[in-house]
Amino acid sequence: MLLQNAIADALNSADWAFALAECVHIGGFAVGVGSIAVVDFRMLNFGLRHETAARILRYSEPWTIVALILVFFSGLALFLSQTDIYLVNLVFPIKMYVLAAALIYNFTVHRKVATMENPSPTLSKWVAGISLLLWAAVVFGGLFTGFLI
Amino acid sequence: MSIAHSIQSIGFLSNFSESVLAYPIVMSTHLLCIALFGGMILITNLRLLGLTYKSVTITDMIRSFRPWKRVGGVIMIGTGLLLATCEAEKYSPNPYFWTKMIILGLILVHGQIFRPIVYTKTEELDQSPVVPTKAKIAAILSLVLWTAMFTMGRLIAYWDTD
Repeated sequence: MLLQNAIADALNSADWAFALAECVHIGGFAVGVGSIAVVDFRMLNFGLRHETAARILRYSEPWTIVALILVFFSGLALFLSQTDIYLVNLVFPIKMYVLAAALIYNFTVHRKVATMENPSPTLSKWVAGISLLLWAAVVFGGLFTGFLI
Repeated sequence: MSIAHSIQSIGFLSNFSESVLAYPIVMSTHLLCIALFGGMILITNLRLLGLTYKSVTITDMIRSFRPWKRVGGVIMIGTGLLLATCEAEKYSPNPYFWTKMIILGLILVHGQIFRPIVYTKTEELDQSPVVPTKAKIAAILSLVLWTAMFTMGRLIAYWDTD
């Protein structure tokens, strides 16, 4: 409660603090989703054909994780600054469910198939396509949440 | 002001800004492009800085991403144009919007300067044991410009006329 109030005060007292949290949130998801998308890009056989998806995932993953942590904390700060508004927002809970699905999918199915020795091209493509769709849905959900506030 | 008013009064633009769904959908698409194609730009820059993706050659990376970055650029400019023109009266006095446009201009200048010496000379970069300084400068400037770009984009919403 105390933490919630402190963060809310900091963010409400200065517009720039809310703006800064939003910029970190946007920059963070660009890095997070971008680093996942580059793995999908390889799995869809769109390019980077000289390297395996497994290797690209290995390069991407630390960036994905650090970025997702930044997105999580900046998102939490935004949420705590206007809790009452988010709680009655129609899109916000949908976004959270899709986000949970995207995260679970990313670190289970997606990771598993990306690191397979010789996955079937069809399987890889489907897994990558679903990954892109899930993350696109999270981004859309985020923007629509903002629009309904 | 009157030019701005005439622009946003063009039939389809006023229909567009009054639509409950179309406006946020176009804005989400604009934002999604930042994640997908901005991500590609970022990853290319990290590679040029020699920070990661080291076993992927610069040539392979730049060639693979090039057509997609172009598609992304067209979608980003297209959706951005739609968003700005349908609210031309709100955007035309907004200093953040114009700062963003100046940064966009600087990004184009960056491309013109570094294309002949970095982005079309990738084989040369790959042969060099360490990534040459000119490529690192190009990457750092690109990171700074794109960060400024999306930050200004977000700040557009924070300016009001009062």
